[in-house]
Amino acid sequence: MRPALLVFGYALMVAWLAPPLLTRLTARGISARLGLAAWLTAMASVVACAVAALQFLVRAAITGWPSLAEAVCRSVTGTACAPTVYKSAAFEAGLGATALLATLTAAVLSWRYGRSVQRARRRTHEHAELARMTGRILPGAGPAMVLDAEQPVAYCVPGRPAAIVLSSGALAVLDPAQLTAVLAHERAHLAGRHHVLTGLTRALSACFPAVPLFARGAGEVARLAEMCADDAAARRSGRPTLIAALLAMGTGTAVPATVVPDTALTATGCAVVSRVQRLLDPPDRALLVGYGTALAALTLLLAAASVMLAGYAGPLATHALALI
Amino acid sequence: MRGFGDLEQVIMQRVWDHDRPVTVRELFDELALERAIAYTTVMTTMDNLHRKGWLAREKEGKAYRYTATASQAEYSARLMQEALADGGNTEAVLSHFVAQMDGAESEALRAVVDRLAERRPR
Repeated sequence: MRPALLVFGYALMVAWLAPPLLTRLTARGISARLGLAAWLTAMASVVACAVAALQFLVRAAITGWPSLAEAVCRSVTGTACAPTVYKSAAFEAGLGATALLATLTAAVLSWRYGRSVQRARRRTHEHAELARMTGRILPGAGPAMVLDAEQPVAYCVPGRPAAIVLSSGALAVLDPAQLTAVLAHERAHLAGRHHVLTGLTRALSACFPAVPLFARGAGEVARLAEMCADDAAARRSGRPTLIAALLAMGTGTAVPATVVPDTALTATGCAVVSRVQRLLDPPDRALLVGYGTALAALTLLLAAASVMLAGYAGPLATHALALI
Repeated sequence: MRGFGDLEQVIMQRVWDHDRPVTVRELFDELALERAIAYTTVMTTMDNLHRKGWLAREKEGKAYRYTATASQAEYSARLMQEALADGGNTEAVLSHFVAQMDGAESEALRAVVDRLAERRPR
């Protein structure tokens, strides 16, 4: 009983305490890739620990119902727990009902989670097929399709094969170098399998909106994935070209890379402006190393702690149960 | 699998190019001029496209005559609509280069670009 509560308690602690810390470490998007890893590790460790704790509880309930009843009774009332209490019909019925309710809730939540991941996948596949069938192939751009539409749009659709879709409006406002930057950005999403990460985390936040780590994490994972793709595109095409492409696609007018300033803007207001700001103000070496080290350490700590707790919960718990 | 998907696309394109219903034989004759392909492959692919709802067919004598269920322009429009609706959706499954913006956001961005253009004329 105790180990399961310990593991569950650890999961709750990470779920509630990690978001403020992670938010602070990843707000500026310094080493976005490590930031992404840290958020994902925190989320995975909470899921793993919660599952391990539940698993133990279910196993304990099946194999040793009387000792479980006694253990629960003890942990609630302390030493004042007498056999007349935990062997009474009322106590057992209550405990049974609680266990049943918890199992049902877990089942419903996992089913909803699976369904929402599945639904997103199906929608994506249908969209990819539609894109493949109706788009014109953009020569020399890999799996890129062009669709006739005035609005500048560029996005990627994961799938087999994946596709990058550009509207003719996008081609009209981008110069060749900027187009390369846009394609590099989208390819980075596909290569990094960002859709899997955002899909899984969004479904988590939809199923557990009350858990801060999941509620906050979905948006943060999407934001950091965007930054990773921006970094990849900037490495390929250079920051000014990528910034000009962002501004051109955002406003729907051609923006030459020569107007891009080399210092930070005094503006805020939307996601594109924040991305531009971030690209204009790259971190120096010291910041990069500092944030990188902090994020890597946190990731390792979370991973090690959860593997230990989830891995030892089972054996430890069996041991504890045998002692009772 | 990939080659098969490509064939679906090639066949849809052909069906759209014809303004009238076509038979498997007609498309096979056209395709056979350009690539080594078996009649049954074309038939199976068109059957799949029918099953997936891309092609409608009507029996005429022994053979089926196929037509597209919607024009290419209609499909393009539907795709764009889906893509744009997705841009502002929290359940979005597509990674847009630039997310959809509301009026205030586009104005803010517009102002930034205008200021940059003034500051450093070409």
